[in-house]
Amino acid sequence: MGDKAGDKKDVWQGTLALMVLKTLQAMGPLHGYGIARRIEQTSGDLLAVNYGTLYPALLKLEQEGYISSEWGVSDNNRKAKYYKLTRAGRKQLNKEEREWEQTTAILARFLAPGEERS
Amino acid sequence: MRWLRSLFSRLGEIFGKRRREQEFSAEMESHLQMHIEDNLRTGMSPPEARRQALMKLGGMEQTRENYRERRGLPLLETFLRDMRFAFRVLRKNLGFTFVVVLTLALGIGANTAIFSVLESQLWRPLPFPDSERLMDVHTVLHDNRRQWDVMPNSIYRAWSEQNHVFASLGAYNYPSHRNFAAGGTSERVVVMPLTASVFKTLDVPLERGRIFLPEEEKTGGDHVAILGNELWRTRLASDADIIGKPISMDGESYVVVGIAPARLRFEFLPEPQIYVPIAMDPTAKLGRGLYVIGRLGSGVTAESARAELDGILQRQLQAEGVKSEDVAAVTNLRVTWTEFSARSLYFFAGAILLVLLIACVNNAGLLLARGMSRRREFALRATLGASRATLIRQSFAESLLLAFAGGAAGTLLGIWGSGAFAVFWNEDTLPRHTETSLDMRVLLFVLGLSIFSSLLMGVLPALFSSRVDVNETLRKGASGLSASRSQHRTRNLLIAVEVSLALALLFGTGLFLSSFVREQQAPRGFDAPGALTFRISLRGEKYAQADQQRRYFRSLTDQIRGLPGVQDVAFGSGVPLADSNLFDSVAVAGQPLLHKHGTGVVVYAVDPGYFDVLHMRMLAGRKIDSSDTAASPRVAIVNRNATHTLFGGEDPMGKVLEFVADERRDVPAEAPVQIIGIAENTQEFGPIEVPFDVIYVPFSQHPDPTGTVVVSANLPRGALLGAIRDAAYTLDKDQPLFDIKTVDQLIGESMRGSRFDLILVGCLAVVALALVSVGIFGTVAYFVQQRTQEFGIRLALGATPIRILRSAISRALVAGALGLLFGVGASLALGRILGSTLYLVPHEHGGMLYGVSIYDPLSMSLACILLLAVLVLASFVPARRAMRVDPMVALRYE
Repeated sequence: MGDKAGDKKDVWQGTLALMVLKTLQAMGPLHGYGIARRIEQTSGDLLAVNYGTLYPALLKLEQEGYISSEWGVSDNNRKAKYYKLTRAGRKQLNKEEREWEQTTAILARFLAPGEERS
Repeated sequence: MRWLRSLFSRLGEIFGKRRREQEFSAEMESHLQMHIEDNLRTGMSPPEARRQALMKLGGMEQTRENYRERRGLPLLETFLRDMRFAFRVLRKNLGFTFVVVLTLALGIGANTAIFSVLESQLWRPLPFPDSERLMDVHTVLHDNRRQWDVMPNSIYRAWSEQNHVFASLGAYNYPSHRNFAAGGTSERVVVMPLTASVFKTLDVPLERGRIFLPEEEKTGGDHVAILGNELWRTRLASDADIIGKPISMDGESYVVVGIAPARLRFEFLPEPQIYVPIAMDPTAKLGRGLYVIGRLGSGVTAESARAELDGILQRQLQAEGVKSEDVAAVTNLRVTWTEFSARSLYFFAGAILLVLLIACVNNAGLLLARGMSRRREFALRATLGASRATLIRQSFAESLLLAFAGGAAGTLLGIWGSGAFAVFWNEDTLPRHTETSLDMRVLLFVLGLSIFSSLLMGVLPALFSSRVDVNETLRKGASGLSASRSQHRTRNLLIAVEVSLALALLFGTGLFLSSFVREQQAPRGFDAPGALTFRISLRGEKYAQADQQRRYFRSLTDQIRGLPGVQDVAFGSGVPLADSNLFDSVAVAGQPLLHKHGTGVVVYAVDPGYFDVLHMRMLAGRKIDSSDTAASPRVAIVNRNATHTLFGGEDPMGKVLEFVADERRDVPAEAPVQIIGIAENTQEFGPIEVPFDVIYVPFSQHPDPTGTVVVSANLPRGALLGAIRDAAYTLDKDQPLFDIKTVDQLIGESMRGSRFDLILVGCLAVVALALVSVGIFGTVAYFVQQRTQEFGIRLALGATPIRILRSAISRALVAGALGLLFGVGASLALGRILGSTLYLVPHEHGGMLYGVSIYDPLSMSLACILLLAVLVLASFVPARRAMRVDPMVALRYE
C-alpha cells in the first residue's frame, strides 16, 4: 500500500460517488451496508468497497446536497440510516453519467485496434 | 457553488458534536450487525462472522477518524480549541494579561486615532458626486513652484471657452468679509465671489432658487446673491419667500436668487455665508486672483487635460503680449486642498507607529519570559504527543487573543483619542471640516494592526518555547533551569531595540521642545504687552473716497485716545502676526527688475504713533511722523531684511522705490516713495519663517478702507472694549469691530501649532518611556527570579550584595547601552533622511522646527541621559531583590 494507495484513492473516490448515486437511483433508499454490498455485487465481486472511504463519501455527498438521509427500519427489523437521492443528486448523476460515457468512449477509441491511425 | 453549500453544512456540523458522534456509532453498529447476519447466513460460525465483518470494516477507529475529518471543519475546530485554551491560560494570569493588553491598547489606540484623522483629513473623498474627477487648475512657474492668487480673468475665460477636456470649469475668489445688515444690526459675513459654473462643476444642486445667469456675471449686472444654507437657516429662519427679495450688503442692495445646498464647503477656506457673481466683486483688487476648479470629462486623464490647458494658456499669453514662464497644472482637488497638512500628519503617524513597535517589542519580551517559566508545561505536553507545530500554534493563539483584546481596548482608546485630536488640532493645521468617524476602514485597520502585532510579538516566543528538550526540562524542573544563551541574547536584543526606538522618540521630543523654547525667545521685533487690537473695514458709499477713510480713522483714534485710562493709540493697515498683511511689488528706481514682476514686499500703511505703541526699533533714519501728510513728499521705511534683498546691503537711505504695475492685473501702480528710515525685522506669521521684506508707508498717503487699531490702556479688557465700542458706534453704528484680540493673544496664536506639535510628541515620548521602563523592569525581575537560587548560594559563600547586584543588572544595562548607541545612529540617520522632506527645517513659513539643528547635540544628550536614568532605575528596583535573597530560603527551593 503506502503512497500508491493514496494515488488510487482519489480516482476511486470520484467513481465511488458515481456508483453510490447510480446505486441509489436503481435501488431507491438504501443503507450504507446495502450500498456497499450492491456495488460489490454489481461489479461481480471484482471490487471491494473500503468502508473507511464509503462513509466519508456518503457524508460528502450529503453535505453537497446530492443525497439525504434518515433513520429507518431494515427488512429484518434493524434500525439503519437510509440514504436517498435528492433532485440535485439526480441531476448530478445524469451529468456524471454523460461525462463518464464520454470519457470511456474517448478512451475506447484510443485503446481500440488502430486501423485509423495509419 | 456546491463547495459553499457544503461549507455551510460543515460549519453547522461543528455544533451538536456529541449527538452526531453517537449517531455515527449507531450507523456503524447497524452496519456491522447486518454484515454479521449476512455472514451467518453464508454459514460462518458466529465468532468467525464477526471477525470477518470487522476486518472488512477496516478498523472501526480508522473509519471513524476518516469520517470525522470529513465532518465539520477540523481546522476551525482546532483553532477554536486553541483559543479556548489560550483564554483559560490568560485568565489565570490576570496581571500579565492586563499589562500586555494595556500596552497594546496604548499602541493600537494611538494608531487608530491617527489613522481616523488621516482617513477623514486626507483620504476621504470630498463630499461631492464622483469627486475624484474634480481637479484644481492653476499655473506654476517653470520650476514647478505654485503661484497663488495670480490667475487673471482672461486666462480663465480662454480656458473655459476653448477646452474640450473638462465637463465643466468654475472659478472663485478667496472669500472676503462684507457687512450684512439684517434685523436692525450689522454683521460681518464671509462672502465668496464665484461663477455659477462652480455649482455645476461640483455637481451640487441648490436647495432652492437658481444659479446666476450669464448676464449676471458681467460687470454692472444685477446685484444678485445666493445665500449660504447656514445663514439662511439661522439668520432668516429658513424663510422660503426670501427668494426674489433684496438683502443689504455694505449698504448696497442685492436680490436673493437662490439658497446654497447644506454642507457645501470649500474645506480649507472660511465657510462662505453668501455667494455673489464673480464679475462684480468690487473688492477684487491686487492679490485677489482666481481659483479655478474643473470636473474632468469622462475618459480624460489629468495629464492630457493639462496638456490642452497649457496650449490654450501659451496662446493666450502670446495674444496678450505677456512674457511669462508660466505653465498650466492640473491636480486632484482633494490632494491639493489637503496637501499642506499632509506632511505633518504623516510625520506624526510615523512617530505613533514607533510607539506601537515599542509596545510589540515590549510584549514580545514579556511573552518570551513567560514562555521560559512555562517550559515545564510545554515539555509535558510534548511528551504527551503534542507536535512542535501544535505548540507553536498554541503560542500564537495566545498572542492572537492578546492582540485582539488589545485591539478592542485600543479601538475604544482610539475613539476617545481622535476626539482629543480634534480638540487640540486647530483649524489652521487641519484643512478639512470633516468629522473623524469609526467606519469600516478604521475597523479593518485595527484588525490588521492586531494581527500584525500578534505576529510581531508572538513569533519569537513561539519559536523558543516550542523548542524544548523534553528530557532535560522534566528532569530538572522549571525552577532549576537557567535560560539558554540564545534566549538571553534574544531578550537583550529586544531591550536594545526597544531602547533605540524610544531614543528616537525622545530625541524628537527634545528637538520640538528646544524649538519651542527658541520660538518663545525669538525676537519678534515688536511688543505691546496687554495692548488690545481690533479691525474695522469701512463699507458703503460714505467711505468710497480716500479722504473719507482718512477722516473716519482719524476721528476714531482721537476719540479712543480721549477715553479715560487709555495710554496710547496707534493705527495701521495691519499688525504683525494678525494675518492682515497686504502685498505689493516694488523695484529700486534706476535699477533693473530683480524679478519679472518686481520684488514682492509686505506693505503696512501706518500712522505716526504706530512704531512707538508697538515698540518697534528703528535702525536708522526717522519714523513716520505727523509731517507726512497726503500733500507732503511720499516716503517709506524699509525693514532690515529688505535692505539686503532690494539694495544688497548698500545704504538705502534717500533712495527711491517704485511700485511695479502688474500688466496682467488692471491695477495702476502707485507713485514712487523715498526711503527715510530702516526698521528692525518683525515676525509676520510666526517664528518659523524666512524673514519677509517689509515697507512701511504713511497711512495718510496710502489710505485703505480696512485698518487695525492698537490700544494700550491700564483698564480691564471688558471695560476698555465697552468704551471703545461705544465710541465707534457713536461715530458710525454700521461699521462693526472684528478680530478683537490682545497682542499677547496674537503671539500665543502664532505659537499654537508649535505648542500642539510639542504636546503630541511629548505624550508619545512619555508613553514610550513608560513602556520601556515596564519592559526593562520585567526583564530584570524575571532574570532575578530565575537566578534566586544561584544568588542565594553565592551570598551564602560570601559574595557581597554589591557583586550580586552587579551581576543581576549588568546584562540589561549592557543591552540598553547598546540600544542607546544604535538609537543615536538611527535617529541621526532618520533626521537626515526626513529633515527636508518633512519640513523639519524652516521653509518660508511652514516648517515644523525653529532654530534647532536636526543633529542638536543638547537634545540628543538629554534624551540619552534620561533614557539611561530610566534604564538604571527600572533595572535597579527589581535587582535589589537579588541582594536581599535569604540564602536559606533560596536553597530550600530545591
